[in-house]
Amino acid sequence: MGAAPAHMASLGLFAGYDTGDFYDEMFSSRGEPRPAYTKLFQKLATMARSHFEERRKLADLSFLIQGITFTVYSDGRGTERLFPFDLIPRIIPNSEWQRIDRGLSQRVVALNLFLHDVYGKQQIFRDQRIPRSLVYSCPHFHREVVGVEVPKGIHTHICGIDLVRDSKSGEFCVLEDNVRTPSGVSYVLENRLVMTRTFPDAFQANEVLPVNNYPAELSRILRSLSPRGENEAQIVVLTPGTYNSAYFEHSFLAQQMGVELVEGRDLIVDGGVVYMKTIRGLTRVDVIYRRIDDEFLDSLTFRADSILGVPGLMGAYRAGNVALANAVGNGVADDKAIYAYVPEFIRYYLGEEPVLRSVETFICSKPQDLKYVLDHLDNLVVKAVGESGGYGMLIGPASDRQRIEEFRCRIKANPRNYIAQPVVPLSRVPSYDASEGSIAGRHVDLRPYCLYDGEKVTIVPGGLTRVALQRDSLIVNSSQGGGSKDTWVLRGES
Amino acid sequence: MLSRIAESLFWLARYIERAEGTARILDVNYHMLLEQSQQSYRLRWEPLIIMAGEEDRFRKLYKEVNAENVFEFLAFRHDNPSSIVQCIAKARENARTIRDRMSREMWEDINGLFHVANSYVPADEIAAGPHRFCDKIKFGAHRFHGVTDSTLPHDEGWDFLRVGWALERVEMTARLVDVQYHNLLDTPSPTGALDNHQWMAVLRSVGAYEAYHRQYPPPIEPEKVAEMLILNPQHPHSIRFSASEVQAGLRAISGSGRGSYANEAERLAGRLLERLSYDRIGEIFDQGLHGYLNDVLRISGSIGEDIARTYFYYAVVA
Repeated sequence: MGAAPAHMASLGLFAGYDTGDFYDEMFSSRGEPRPAYTKLFQKLATMARSHFEERRKLADLSFLIQGITFTVYSDGRGTERLFPFDLIPRIIPNSEWQRIDRGLSQRVVALNLFLHDVYGKQQIFRDQRIPRSLVYSCPHFHREVVGVEVPKGIHTHICGIDLVRDSKSGEFCVLEDNVRTPSGVSYVLENRLVMTRTFPDAFQANEVLPVNNYPAELSRILRSLSPRGENEAQIVVLTPGTYNSAYFEHSFLAQQMGVELVEGRDLIVDGGVVYMKTIRGLTRVDVIYRRIDDEFLDSLTFRADSILGVPGLMGAYRAGNVALANAVGNGVADDKAIYAYVPEFIRYYLGEEPVLRSVETFICSKPQDLKYVLDHLDNLVVKAVGESGGYGMLIGPASDRQRIEEFRCRIKANPRNYIAQPVVPLSRVPSYDASEGSIAGRHVDLRPYCLYDGEKVTIVPGGLTRVALQRDSLIVNSSQGGGSKDTWVLRGES
Repeated sequence: MLSRIAESLFWLARYIERAEGTARILDVNYHMLLEQSQQSYRLRWEPLIIMAGEEDRFRKLYKEVNAENVFEFLAFRHDNPSSIVQCIAKARENARTIRDRMSREMWEDINGLFHVANSYVPADEIAAGPHRFCDKIKFGAHRFHGVTDSTLPHDEGWDFLRVGWALERVEMTARLVDVQYHNLLDTPSPTGALDNHQWMAVLRSVGAYEAYHRQYPPPIEPEKVAEMLILNPQHPHSIRFSASEVQAGLRAISGSGRGSYANEAERLAGRLLERLSYDRIGEIFDQGLHGYLNDVLRISGSIGEDIARTYFYYAVVA
């Protein structure tokens, strides 16, 4: 790897492109476009900068008009910021996608079996495949739902599993599981829509697998959970409200599925049954796709100060009068210390070897691991086990001494709360740098969305590619300069 | 339909209508006054502040009642809850909480209008005069009506929008006539031509100028203008027409037929409409226009309150 071959230097937007010491999704180490990217590369390489800029502005305008924005309320007027969209798509070769699909399906089923076991018979503890203490000490393990029978035995209806391609091996591996209320799927659908509007010719040249079946599949699964049967199923999406940063997605999904979007104040529990308040009186609710965290769902069971949820909801849930997706208590399965055991779950519950590799993980509650972590803090990424969204993290190589020492104290004070992993050099995809007016490599991850109906796992081809738009940044979170890309899986061989 | 959604639709429509009405009045007033003397300035701008019910707030912010200040206050001030930009922001906020219940086109339209309204630089617009801005708002509101009408199923949600629009229009027109009359009749004017001019402005502000001339011979007479704006059964900005829309919308929601009512809001709407249908303009002037219009505003307020009681609010149960 290294600088691109000379022939690329003359190619318009790609002038001066450098693949660096990373796996480049578009170019092989010899600087030639990989087979899946050939047609896209030709299109971009011959495109005038002004033409590209024009399309980019069109795409931005489209997001603004659709209101696909974050709102910053600090100035009292509600300033809106776009979630940056990079116009150059990320392509996953079909053969590689099939392997990802197999690996994710396997993982989702195993995580579901684990949750069913942990909140049910707890056989895994007796077989000593994971310490009981590690599970019970998870901040998101909820005793309140031990023994609760969930409809069709499904806990993980909707999962977003973060994958990264390791530049060293060139292989996809799992970075973390999100099995509580993963967000972002609306961007997958909107990105595609905007992309087909602004870049129609790129689609004509490539056969891209469609993604728009997601809402219908989600709706089918939710309907199948109804305690009163599918025909009478009244489904709602429960949102914390318009101030939540994922509010757009909540309303988008409700609209696409043709179901009500409700807030906690729209619902009421009476006699162990959930109702919504309509202009004609109370209407029974059967299935709730909730986008509120467990802790805020029911002030009678969890946090008493929550005004987002519905008092008495857990009573109705336990009585089997209402189904919740995802199930309550899933946080124990995406705890970052439990993550290290997922390959073991796959072997234990399915009798299979994991298709997708996990990142090597040091669990600080193990004395040996703790020692290693404390000795190598400046080379490791340290994560708090119960957090998500890039919070509570230390990236050793990018941190100063003071921050490292601060984490050392925190880890020593509460080892159970931390894990550590080696830094994964993420692969890069050519992305447009507006300040330079040219294309440069930027780091990406991938979050596919998996839906589980109890029998099979359905995964939208591709998923959300998040991109760190700042030069050299490894952080793809939108709050820190991250953006997203349309993600293509091409039909057939490539 | 969720009560919260019905309420948001109702208010979404009211805020849009309020923004449009304010834009109309600002635009017309300004252009009529271009042909007026300086002395009549204060006189002609004050009614707009009174109409908005924001006299105290205005006095706190400005020393002088002039075109520039009133325009800025009613169009752009974010600290004036009745300003056009605030009405549109609130309409959009209501739309945002129910965007899953609207067509995509409706949301994009109202969202686009919000961004357009906020893209104007107040200082530039004040220098240029209100027409450019007001025209954009007026047609933005028209477009939203059109987009709604042609993309939203005409179900009960649509009826809540319709009731919101019509009820707000009843109030906007009643205030317009009341304030203009009060102003013109209490103040002796130097010439009849000035009055005439002002009444033309009133008619234009609700888009009724051409319709008036088809119905009445010249010259423009204040009483006839009042008749047009209060009692005309066909003009979409008249109080009577708007009241009949309120009634039709409420009946569609409850399913009640002619001669009956399902709730207090319907009873009041029926009574209001009955008066507007059978009263003569002469009788209204005999009993006092101001009192009559105050009655209209009071009844319309009660209709709004009862709609909320009937459809929006839940007494705590369980």
